[in-house]
Amino acid sequence: MSSFTIDCLFAIAFVLPLVGVVLSLATRRFSWNNTLVQSMFILSGFAGLIAGSYFFALLGIGNSASFNGTFFGLVNIALNSMQVFFLMLVYGGVLLTSLYAIQSLPPYKDVYVLPTLNVASAFFIVGMQATILSPSLFTFLMAWEIMSVSAYFLVIADRSDESLRAGWLYFVMTHIGFACIAAGLLLLAGGNLFASWHDVALSALGATPLAISIAFVLLLAGFGSKAGLVPLHQWLPYAHPQAPSGSSALLSGVMLKVALFGFIQGVALFPFVPSFSAFLVISIGLLSAFFGALRAAVENDAKRVLAWSSIENMGLIFSAVGIYLLVHGSQDSAVSAIAPSIALFIILHTANHFIFKTGLFMAVGAVASKTHTRNLDELGGLAQRWPIFAGIFLALSLAAAALPPFGTFFGEWTYFQTLASGMTVSAFFGGSFALILALLALVGGLALFAYVRMFSAIFLGRARTTHAEQVSPMPILLWLPSLFSVLLSIIAGLFLFPILSAPNTFMEGVTLFGDVAILGGVSMNAWWVLLSVIFIGVLLTVCRRSFSNRNPARITDTWDCGQPITPRMQYTATGFSAPIRFFFKSILMSEKELIIEPISMSNPWIVRRRLVWSIKSFFEYWLYRPIGIAVFAVSRAVKRLQNGVIQLYLLLVICALVFTLATTL
Amino acid sequence: MTYLLITFQALVVLLSAPLVVGMVRTLKARFQNRQGPSIFLPYVSMLSLLRKEMTITKHSSWVFRMVPFVVLGSAFFLALVVPSLFFGIVPSSLDNIFLFGAVVALGSVFLVLGGMDTGSTFGNMGSSREMTLATLVEPALYVSLATLALATGAWGMGGIVGHFTSLPWLVAVPPAIVTLIGLLFVLLAENARYPVDNPATHLELTMVHEAMILEYSGTYLAMLEYASAIKLTALLAVCMGILIPFGISAPPVTFFGLGIALIAFFGKLALGAFAIAFIESVIVKMRFYRMQEYMMLAFFIALLGLAVELIVLYH
Amino acid sequence: MLRLLSKIITTGKRTEKCPQIPTYIEEIGENLKHAIHTLYGGRTLRIRHVDAGSTNGEEYELTALGNAFYDIERFGISFVASPRHADVLTVSGPVTRNMEHALKTAYEMTPGPKIVVALGDGACTGGIWKDSYAVVGAVENVIPVDARIPGDPPTPEDVLRGLLSIVTATRK
Repeated sequence: MSSFTIDCLFAIAFVLPLVGVVLSLATRRFSWNNTLVQSMFILSGFAGLIAGSYFFALLGIGNSASFNGTFFGLVNIALNSMQVFFLMLVYGGVLLTSLYAIQSLPPYKDVYVLPTLNVASAFFIVGMQATILSPSLFTFLMAWEIMSVSAYFLVIADRSDESLRAGWLYFVMTHIGFACIAAGLLLLAGGNLFASWHDVALSALGATPLAISIAFVLLLAGFGSKAGLVPLHQWLPYAHPQAPSGSSALLSGVMLKVALFGFIQGVALFPFVPSFSAFLVISIGLLSAFFGALRAAVENDAKRVLAWSSIENMGLIFSAVGIYLLVHGSQDSAVSAIAPSIALFIILHTANHFIFKTGLFMAVGAVASKTHTRNLDELGGLAQRWPIFAGIFLALSLAAAALPPFGTFFGEWTYFQTLASGMTVSAFFGGSFALILALLALVGGLALFAYVRMFSAIFLGRARTTHAEQVSPMPILLWLPSLFSVLLSIIAGLFLFPILSAPNTFMEGVTLFGDVAILGGVSMNAWWVLLSVIFIGVLLTVCRRSFSNRNPARITDTWDCGQPITPRMQYTATGFSAPIRFFFKSILMSEKELIIEPISMSNPWIVRRRLVWSIKSFFEYWLYRPIGIAVFAVSRAVKRLQNGVIQLYLLLVICALVFTLATTL
Repeated sequence: MTYLLITFQALVVLLSAPLVVGMVRTLKARFQNRQGPSIFLPYVSMLSLLRKEMTITKHSSWVFRMVPFVVLGSAFFLALVVPSLFFGIVPSSLDNIFLFGAVVALGSVFLVLGGMDTGSTFGNMGSSREMTLATLVEPALYVSLATLALATGAWGMGGIVGHFTSLPWLVAVPPAIVTLIGLLFVLLAENARYPVDNPATHLELTMVHEAMILEYSGTYLAMLEYASAIKLTALLAVCMGILIPFGISAPPVTFFGLGIALIAFFGKLALGAFAIAFIESVIVKMRFYRMQEYMMLAFFIALLGLAVELIVLYH
Repeated sequence: MLRLLSKIITTGKRTEKCPQIPTYIEEIGENLKHAIHTLYGGRTLRIRHVDAGSTNGEEYELTALGNAFYDIERFGISFVASPRHADVLTVSGPVTRNMEHALKTAYEMTPGPKIVVALGDGACTGGIWKDSYAVVGAVENVIPVDARIPGDPPTPEDVLRGLLSIVTATRK
């Protein structure tokens, strides 16, 4: 009975988006078309979430829990709890973003072709689900391709030049990634394209260490390019912001997690991981985290800040995956004891990043749709016009910066504390974990900087342009999904944290309000933190009421030293990050240039001066540009063959034939 | 009983906070061959601010009004968990070192938001600088705290200080000296003292902390000044508690022990205030754009402290 | 550094004794009395100085108040960076037309209870610039004044006495 229910619900969740596609095309003339399709998506997400919760309630959390879904006897899929966890992220994302899309898309109906966009979204949702559900290599690759290609259509939805260029970059990068993934998995499977995961794992047992190493690097490159790991991240900050905000939220909040899922699932197939793998993953993860956070702190496009921050967070997660690979299965029980705590961080942060990034993308999208700009330098002062929305945005920013009492803090606390506790294991772990800890602290600081800067540039002070000054009230569905994200973020700390820390004993052993103990017996209780926040808040309010002058404040101008000040005199987001740009000048390759243009031909002294600052992309300059130059040089050299003389072509054909015969015989 | 002790300990820190600021100010005056103000002056000036009217700029939003509460709240939290008189009484979830670091950051963040929400360039400038400092100081802070935790095997502020009280001074403290120097660098940066910031400046262009609170008045100003006094006291209490762990005890507490703890606590605060006044009298403020050197130095000292601890632990 | 420290030690305290407080400021208004009363008897005063077009003579004298000799801090009096932090506005100079707005806004932003002190002849009466087309004249033409410290410029001792007498006169 119960398995039948889960079957039904998952099937509904899978099929409803496709039903939505048909409906979308059938009713595209009507104005309620968008609402109808989005409600299909919402229902799908809802059904999936219920199915997932039911699964966990029934089977608990942990590797042992698995469930054989037959889908009415059509296919045989064994679901384990990791798959269901990632599926629930997909459903949660679909639920929130579709709720948001009901009111956020219609104002853009001249920019996007809504029915087509919704078709792409539907295929995207189905593709992500299918990627996670797929039982075999072939279906996995198919589903991955469906997800990638439909994401391409989401990126180019507004058909602007910028989007087309970003989409093209994405399309090329994602297919290089796809090729890597396919090659890596086929190498493991011994060339059998139709192998089930079980078969792949079996055939990988017989693979040579060299093949294993190559397969690992290929999988890391493939999934890493999707997850935005440096240096294959180049497309992400261009592509994610170009999609409609709800879709950006799905791309950044959910699709990156699907890439993470793919990597974890792929690594699980290996009989052993090569010795260099852990260090490779850790260093790439840390590099991504640092680079993403640094760029997020200086970027001026609000959605691009979020995209860079996604790179940072995926970097954090992958560095933890690397540490997991390092310590997992070690002979030394003190070392292998680190693994569960690291795994706890990976899962917690995956969930937390999904929650706050989805919420932030929707919130930034709402700001952009009302002010018609995403440039931080043109906003400001919105907290006076949208006080509630500013509160939501502030809460999400604090969650993203991993400050208490939000769930992200408890996730990152797990990571920091595990590293710190792991330092006691041996001198090697002491030294290396200390360096990682220091780098993570710097990354955390930069992320804090980025989010404080974004929030203050959008909401605080005075409006810098008329766009930002004359905004209309915000419709409810533009901010309600973000509010849900805030609540989820708090709930993640209060409930998800204790639940996940005690796997396998979900229904019996866990007390929801208890301490969470991790490596070394160090414990943390989100409820204590929340209680102390509430206690101090009440205490301060009471003190303020009873001890101080209770007359209302007198409202005056801003103190101006006698010279009236205008909004233009405020620090812009660009100015705010000037010290960071200065301190990290060599990495950011930031440059200031004074451009002097003569105005009048007759008098050389009358000139116009402009100061231009720019940030070059480090990897674009040092990695992509040389490759591009080399490719062009090679093509130019090869072009000499194309001289139009038929004899030469015949000669080439003969050479090719001779070569083929020589190698095959 | 435990909660009574926590409350008592927090109250002692809260009540002595303005005294520390007063002592630093007076001692600095003495270094300048001046008589200087009474050490109790900050109490009077904060009380008189509480009685005053508030004027608020019309360009600010609710964030501006919320800031003093969050900043003072985070300072209260620090006062609550710092082991100034006793250790081992605060719940382990609350005095965890990483929570301590995060709460310090939370206070800084809201101060920055307050400076940004005025539409005034001075506030913005202070905010930008403070945020940069808060970002760059994090690695040194976390490495220092983690080193202390590694050396003591305890992950809470109370446990760390408790460990130092339980061992002979010559065994426990000397390896931690380098880390303490790193922590001192962090303390100076976090509390806007020399050489990072000049707490007595009237020139807006050289301000960091002061620039952010230029627009606050009356009660809110008192709250912010009180918060920065508490933060200074709390961090000083941690540093001095490790350097001179004398007097700090675990429950059960006798009246005699309580008296000793109180006397020792105030003695340590006076010593700490003297050290800060001394530092501020013999060095100059650094240019803001040289702060990266200061922060790098702080970070490398913290790393050096860690290396020392690792050597002590594993050899 | 050691040389600096030995200098500090050998020099010793150089602060003068508290000057005698004259009683020549008689015109203590109700507002001033109320203000001082609210501010704990004026045991702490924060001053914001506004230069409304002075010759800078007054500013030199005010600066001297902070040195080791006069040490105004020992009376709990300090200078602050923003009118929002201030209890006392000291204004110097005949208010020039350019500074009229600045003075008004500074006054408006100072939270009550507040005391305005006109410092120097220019601020008290307009001084030698009185009736010039470029100045508005005495400070009281622009904002209400509670006390005056005459002199062109008043010596640091005059200023100190003036400020102290403002505080002590109302205590009686």
